Amino acid sequence: MGQSATPHSSAPDLRVSLGPLHLANPVLTASGTFGYGLEFSDFLDLSRLGGIVVKGISLKPRPGNPPPRLAETPCGMLNAIGLENVGVERFLRDKLPPLRQRGAVIIVNILGNTVEEYAELASVLSGVSGIAALEINISCPNVKRGGMAFGTDPHMAAQVVAAVRARTSLPLITKLSPNVTSIAEIARAAHDAGSDILSCINTVSAMAVDPFSRRPKLANIVGGLSGPAIKPIALRCVYETVRAVSCPVIGIGGIQTAMDALEFLVVGASAVQVGTANLVHPRASLHILEGIEKFCRHQGIGAITDYIGTLDTACRFPFADESCSVEPPAREPV
Amino acid sequence: MPRVQEKAKILESHKEAEGTYRLVLYAPKIVPTARPGQFVMVRVASEGADPLLARPFSFHRLHKEDGLCEILLRVVGAGTRLLSQRQPGSSVDVVGPLGRGFTAPTRSDETVVFVAGGIGIAPLRALLDHLLATTHKGHPERLHLYYGARSASELIALHDLKRAGVVSVVSTDDGSAGERGTVLDAVQKRWNASSQMPNRLYACGSLPMQVNLARWVRRRDIWVEMSLESMMACGIGACLGCALPAVDPEDPQAQRYLHVCQDGPVLDPKRIRWDKVQPLIARPLISASL
Ligand SMILES: Cc1cc2nc3c(=O)[nH]c(=O)nc-3n(C[C@H](O)[C@H](O)[C@H](O)COP(=O)(O)OP(=O)(O)OC[C@H]3O[C@@H](n4cnc5c(N)ncnc54)[C@H](O)[C@@H]3O)c2cc1C
Ligand SMILES: Cc1cc2nc3c(=O)[nH]c(=O)nc-3n(C[C@H](O)[C@H](O)[C@H](O)COP(=O)(O)O)c2cc1C
Ligand code: FES
Repeated sequence: MGQSATPHSSAPDLRVSLGPLHLANPVLTASGTFGYGLEFSDFLDLSRLGGIVVKGISLKPRPGNPPPRLAETPCGMLNAIGLENVGVERFLRDKLPPLRQRGAVIIVNILGNTVEEYAELASVLSGVSGIAALEINISCPNVKRGGMAFGTDPHMAAQVVAAVRARTSLPLITKLSPNVTSIAEIARAAHDAGSDILSCINTVSAMAVDPFSRRPKLANIVGGLSGPAIKPIALRCVYETVRAVSCPVIGIGGIQTAMDALEFLVVGASAVQVGTANLVHPRASLHILEGIEKFCRHQGIGAITDYIGTLDTACRFPFADESCSVEPPAREPV
Repeated sequence: MPRVQEKAKILESHKEAEGTYRLVLYAPKIVPTARPGQFVMVRVASEGADPLLARPFSFHRLHKEDGLCEILLRVVGAGTRLLSQRQPGSSVDVVGPLGRGFTAPTRSDETVVFVAGGIGIAPLRALLDHLLATTHKGHPERLHLYYGARSASELIALHDLKRAGVVSVVSTDDGSAGERGTVLDAVQKRWNASSQMPNRLYACGSLPMQVNLARWVRRRDIWVEMSLESMMACGIGACLGCALPAVDPEDPQAQRYLHVCQDGPVLDPKRIRWDKVQPLIARPLISASL
């Protein structure tokens, strides 16, 4: 990709580099909300996106949890899919080749019941062409073993990341859970153990009940909340994570529009993943990408990297030159 | 077959029975390839995030030449209420055509039974229309419709089907129209005694109806398809939310699931583990006023 290849001189440069992972733009799709990518090829050109994170893959196929697996909640949804997937063998045989053919940048989300399973998956996937990075899912709230149990304990998180790191040279993303006391602590552990990138957040552990039948709405009783309802939580998590570590962070959670995505970028996410919005509008991720491009043109932003992490937390009183106590002012008060 | 997203214009909206509305949608990209038994995901909120998810609706009638389809909707919650209040002239976001439709009979000498419980008439009507125009043109007497509802006020008038010569049997739980009892009672009354079974049976209705019907047909030599329901988020096979417990022929105890939006919604009931199906929560309408 040459520096000079921009077709229109006014087109903003949307390329981002997340450590070793170089993307044409910062809009990716979130695991579990974009199937294996192919489900969406009727609706959009998959190669336009920054990347596609496929449904979480395990060594063996998993049937998932009993239904009902879904419930709608105010401005969000609850799911307890239970990481149903076809297993790595069928993924490589049936899903990856057609996805590769469509020119998509493919990131594989991996999960296991044990540290060794994560490591084995990493080594199986490492030798395969067309995989741009691995995303380690240690944050799914819907499974009993593995999943969130690894993501809520810094030592376990570090163990998983280190084991995966030892078996692959692919760029590694570790996906963090919001269901912890200190996301910064887990972030540091994952980064120190060799994760190149962090992504946050996975779904928020939550519940819905029907007062008439007195039954939980999910067979699993609790599930993971996603959608616009969690965006403020996700933004806070990204904010805390970017301050805790020096590696790039991908923002996820409730992104429905370009404006939502921009909030994450300004807070310091180097890229975003669009999740539940794909389920609602199959073309959502492309709309968001187009919206970011339009925003940059309108705001005269030449390169999106100039915009990322420019959150201004300085406090300003228009008629006083005294700073407030929130933060030391970054620059002179206006 | 391509699936598309388009803004569909609501051309008409009619109240057809108590709590049941019929919308006529202009969806020229979706309708031409649509088949009876398939469905669309309709985004109810025009903007904003509440309700967030689109809602699935079967094609009730297809008018391919005009790019029109009709959906029949029963108001059960916030989404269907909002949709029932939409004015003609406004647009809704629609994705379709989705899922597998019915397998239509190929021969005109087949006797075909339709079993519709309540809003279950929605997808069956599209198939009836199709057969009346194709295989069973000239033989409407081989099409038998059993249509039941709780009460007369919830029945949708189907005079034109009767006029077309379809054999219709109506039933209501309270006896306020047609025969008293469930639609299955009506079916059993005719066919338990008959020495001959229908060749095919298509059904759509409530979970109890489906469970009982699945039990009834299991002991009989009838080819059956049912349109089934499940909670859906995407309708396109991406979220894996719409699972139904399925029979694994090789291992009856194995935990297996079908996905209603992709494998269905039209399915052979023998493929479902009915003992594991949890009913979707049915909320009484007073919930809205509490
Ligand atoms: C393939 C398919 C085709 C369908 N076709 C039709 C149709 O032609 N006409 C029609 O009126 N309805 C149809 N439905 C059901 C319809 O989608 C639901 O009634 C609707 O989603 C409820 O939305 P709501 O916002 O009004 O209710 P909500 O407020 O979301 O829920 C109200 C109650 O309805 C139950 N419910 C929610 N979703 C469903 C569902 N998918 N199926 C059954 N109950 C549900 C919930 O458990 C809840 O208690 C179909 C469903 C599927 C899966
Ligand atoms: C139906 C569904 C399935 C999901 N499956 C996975 C998964 O397999 N692996 C994973 O890491 N995250 C999974 N997630 C979490 C999402 O990738 C994302 O982190 C979360 O939904 C928050 O983003 P959103 O609000 O934009 O949806 C899933 C989410 C949903 C809604
Ligand atoms: S509704 Fe999403 S997979 Fe069926």
